[in-house]
Amino acid sequence: MTEGTDLVTLDPDATPAAAGGGELVPAGDHSPVVAGPHHPGPRQYVLIAIVLVILTGVEVATSYLEGHVNSNLLIVALAIMAMVKFFLVAAWYMHMKQDSRLFRRLFVMGMTLACIVYGIVILFFSSTTLKS
Amino acid sequence: MTQAVVTSGAAEVEPGAISEHGHDTNTGVSNSKLAIWLFLSSEALFFGAFISTYFLYRGRDAQFLKGPTPDKLLNIPFTSVTSFVLLMSSLTMVLALAAIQRGDHTRLRIWLLATCLFGATFVGGQVYEFTEFYRKGLHLGTNMFGTTFYVLTGLHGAHVTIGIIWLLLLWGRSMQGRLPSDKSEAVEIAGLYWHFVDVVWIFIFTAIYLIPTH
Repeated sequence: MTEGTDLVTLDPDATPAAAGGGELVPAGDHSPVVAGPHHPGPRQYVLIAIVLVILTGVEVATSYLEGHVNSNLLIVALAIMAMVKFFLVAAWYMHMKQDSRLFRRLFVMGMTLACIVYGIVILFFSSTTLKS
Repeated sequence: MTQAVVTSGAAEVEPGAISEHGHDTNTGVSNSKLAIWLFLSSEALFFGAFISTYFLYRGRDAQFLKGPTPDKLLNIPFTSVTSFVLLMSSLTMVLALAAIQRGDHTRLRIWLLATCLFGATFVGGQVYEFTEFYRKGLHLGTNMFGTTFYVLTGLHGAHVTIGIIWLLLLWGRSMQGRLPSDKSEAVEIAGLYWHFVDVVWIFIFTAIYLIPTH
C-alpha cells in the first residue's frame, strides 16, 4: 500500500482510529507521522500519471482523424477516453477507491444528477429553433 | 469509544464513531471531508450547466458562427501542452499529500510549490489564449461561441486561480511550522478540490477542443 515510505504498517483487524488512518505515531522531528488511510504510494501515482499522459496523447491524435472517420464514432471514442481519465483521477488521486463509501455516493449522486438534468435540457432544447 | 467495522481496505464506520482523523462525528467520517465532497458534488452541477450550454449552442445557430469560428481560432497543440501541465499538477498534488502523510515536510513544500507552478503555467496559457482570441476579434459578445467559450473556460481558470492561492496558503503555513503531519487532512481537502478542477478540465478540453465542430 505505501511503497517507498516510512509509513507504519497498519493492522487490518485494528479499530478505525488505527486502520482507517489518522493514528499518530511519534517521529523524530517532533512532528507525528500520520498513518494515512489505505492510499496508494508514489509509484502508483506516477504510473497513473503516465497512463493519463498516454491517454491525452491518444485523444489529441484521435481529434486529428476528423474528416477521415465517422464523426459520431470520433465523438464516442473521445467521450470514452475522457471518462476513463475521469475515473482514473477520481479513483486514485481523489482516493475514491480507498475512502469511505459515503464520499463516493455523494459525488456520484451529484454527477448523476448533473447528467440527468442537463441531458434533459439538451434533449429538450436541441429540438427547438434558436433565433439569432 | 464506539468500535468500527473495517471492510476490505475501506473503513466503514458506524454512526457516532471516531472519524478517520480522530474526532467524534455523527457520520463517522471527517466533517471537513464530507463538506468538500458535498461542495464538489454541487460543483459538478455548476460546471455541468456551462458545459451543456456550450453544447446547446455549438454550431447550430447563426449567432454561433458569426465572426471568428472555433476551427479558425482553437490551437489544439498549444492547449494540449497546457492540459498536460494541469495533469502533471495533479500528480505533484498527490505526491505532496503522500509526503505530509509520511512526515516529510521538505518534500511537501516542494510538491506544493510545483503544483502552484504548474497551475500558474496553465492559467498563464489561458491568459495568452484569451489575449490571442481577443486580438483576432472574438469578444465576449461577438457570437455564442465567444460567450460560451469565455464564460466556461474563464470560470474554470478562476477555480484554478483559487486553488493556487489555497495551496500557497498551505505552503506558508508549512513554512511557519503550522502544518504538522496530524493536520494532513488540510492538504487532502485542498488536493480534492485541485483534482476536481483537473477532472473538469478533462471534459472541457474534450468538449471544446477535441470534438469536431461540424
